[in-house]
Amino acid sequence: MNTRTLTTMLGGASLATLMMASGPARAEDITLHALMEDVPETHIIEAMLPDFTKQTGIKVEFQKLVYSDMHQKLVTQLIGNASYYNVLEVDFLWAGEFPEAGWLADLQPFVDKTGFDLKPFIPSMMDLVGNHKGKLYMIPMYNYSMGVVYRTDLLEDPKLKDAYKTETGKDLAFPQSLAEYVEISKFMSKHAGNGVVGAAMQSQRGDPNSMEFSNYLFSNGGRYLDDSGKVALNSPEAVKALELYVDNIKNGAQKGALSATLDDTSRLMCDGKAWSMVTYWWMLPQMDNKDACPNVAGKVAVGVMPGGHGESGGWGWGIPKNESPELQDAAWKFISWVQGKEASITRAMQGHAPTRSDVYSDAGVLAKYPYYKQALDVVASGEPFPVFTYSAQYEDVLGRQLSLAGSGDAKPADAIKAAADGLDELLKKSQ
Amino acid sequence: MTAEAAIEAPKPRRQRDRWRATGWKFAAPGLSMIAIVMGFPLIYALLLSISSFTLLHPRLQPFIGLENFRTVMADEYFWHSVWITIKYSAVTVAGEFLLGLAIALVLNRVVRLKAVYFAILTIPMAMSPVSVGLVWHMLLQPNLGIINRLLDASGIGGIDWMGDPNLAFWTVVFVDVWQQVSFVILILAAGLASLPKEPYEAAEVDGAGEVQQFWYLTLPMLRPVAAIAIVIQLINETRTYDLVYVLTRGGPGIATDLLSYFAYRRAFLGLSISEGASVSFVLLLMVLALTVVFFRLVTRRA
Repeated sequence: MNTRTLTTMLGGASLATLMMASGPARAEDITLHALMEDVPETHIIEAMLPDFTKQTGIKVEFQKLVYSDMHQKLVTQLIGNASYYNVLEVDFLWAGEFPEAGWLADLQPFVDKTGFDLKPFIPSMMDLVGNHKGKLYMIPMYNYSMGVVYRTDLLEDPKLKDAYKTETGKDLAFPQSLAEYVEISKFMSKHAGNGVVGAAMQSQRGDPNSMEFSNYLFSNGGRYLDDSGKVALNSPEAVKALELYVDNIKNGAQKGALSATLDDTSRLMCDGKAWSMVTYWWMLPQMDNKDACPNVAGKVAVGVMPGGHGESGGWGWGIPKNESPELQDAAWKFISWVQGKEASITRAMQGHAPTRSDVYSDAGVLAKYPYYKQALDVVASGEPFPVFTYSAQYEDVLGRQLSLAGSGDAKPADAIKAAADGLDELLKKSQ
Repeated sequence: MTAEAAIEAPKPRRQRDRWRATGWKFAAPGLSMIAIVMGFPLIYALLLSISSFTLLHPRLQPFIGLENFRTVMADEYFWHSVWITIKYSAVTVAGEFLLGLAIALVLNRVVRLKAVYFAILTIPMAMSPVSVGLVWHMLLQPNLGIINRLLDASGIGGIDWMGDPNLAFWTVVFVDVWQQVSFVILILAAGLASLPKEPYEAAEVDGAGEVQQFWYLTLPMLRPVAAIAIVIQLINETRTYDLVYVLTRGGPGIATDLLSYFAYRRAFLGLSISEGASVSFVLLLMVLALTVVFFRLVTRRA
């Protein structure tokens, strides 16, 4: 073999190796990364990931964080040339911002290519965390509509019933209005004993108090925007809702409510130290768990916010635009699998908050969780926080005013006016 | 001047120039690193602060001059943040210095197990502020935290550490001092250990008491070291962000809304990196002004 032949052979072998190395990535070589909120829903999906890997060969890794740290972490990845996170969990508060910034890939071509069926998804969920300005950027992942999780044993306690009747002349039962809810909450703080308070409140400034107050607002007939999209927050209903909110913080809630988050309130409720909490309906199975919350398991229920409307929210799955086509395809495989009917029912059997109507009506799911009927009421009656480019900033603006009112540094009427002006300013900025 | 001297004269100058050039060569790698690590981000941040860069439109142009500064300064809560940042820095640095000096003086007299005490004292300094915030958040949790449980058990009753607008500021101050005082102790202890013994011996012969020795010898001799410790801490405290983020999120109300947290919210919640950069520049100017004022005070007294 002469030198020339040897060189040619070595060159050919090197080229072949290079071509093999630079060819399309095999599924077994792909690992998808997702930044996820550290909530039960994430843990449910995480436990199912080995099934997905078994089916497709694609590995998925979840990095779990508390909600408040997610936005900044995601944004810093999305403004770069490539994102570390290949599958995005997008909160509805960012569902205006992310597409407007051009960070999300259009999912319609993936739907068309794979024939993924969008019809079972609840229309309100598609509006919230699916479509944006007529384009499909997200697939609804789960909902976090809010209602009241409450202790039934305290409502049925004969001594408390008598005391309530004596004090108010009314029967102690699940409240029908916001004012009644706050009244019972204050009553429980005074009479339930054993350090039990009426409401475990998450009134820390920012996302916690904005979400919580939204329930009070909708419950009392207030709105952020009218039907034409104009700011309608500065209303007598909203002022009254804030007055009741502040009253409950001061006289019905636990000590430290103004610095409390969902973690604090769920621990308190689980410990049996609160009669109620305004929270996500899927917190019910967490509280009703004998191993995790022995003090309250079997004594809790969920109801629609008194007044008929609570806050509605949700998460969607998205795919970053600054990603290679191979990784985008892998990400879509994961999304279409996890939001398919089979995986959704498996998730629901473990307490998942579905975005597909066919899961709520599944016989197996209803047999295991009869309260999914109430859950559907909570989801159906929910109203959304304003979704626009600056939703996250508006939460901050609103949260500050609510916290000022809660700490007594602003009158509720002034706080509502400032919050309404802030919303108007940000809406104008986004246009 | 003789003819020989005139011929000899340029020689030391050339030698001086050579030394200078050699000096610059030695300093060049370090200076380049400083230019890259500090100079570039600083210039880029300055450009950002006068640009229209947002996360939605990530482009520097068009440059809009001082418009971002005008916008943030027109925000009524900005001035509140400036004021409480100054108050916070003054209180934490004073607390750290007084407590640090007291502990350093005690440690200076300790003979046995000195290394053990120093090792224990450095633990908070080795922890990240976020970890410190999380640990204290658990300890101070009003309903289930161990501190309130102990207060309840002792009959004093639990305290709303982070939810009471009159207390939240002082809670953050306390946690910050707890962590940062180790650094001040180490610097001051090193300063105390290096003080000469002779003035103290002379003072003792002259009949000076311990208080007089501390006041007229220790404090004046420790002044340069103390000044360094105070300036470093002043810079650190003015930039405090992590503890507020973990413990209070600026609340309740606006009780702990420090300027760094204000800048973060402008940049990442308001999506306006340029406004965030302009607030950061105001913060930088504040730090510079405080440092200059402090050094002037120290040198004037010296």
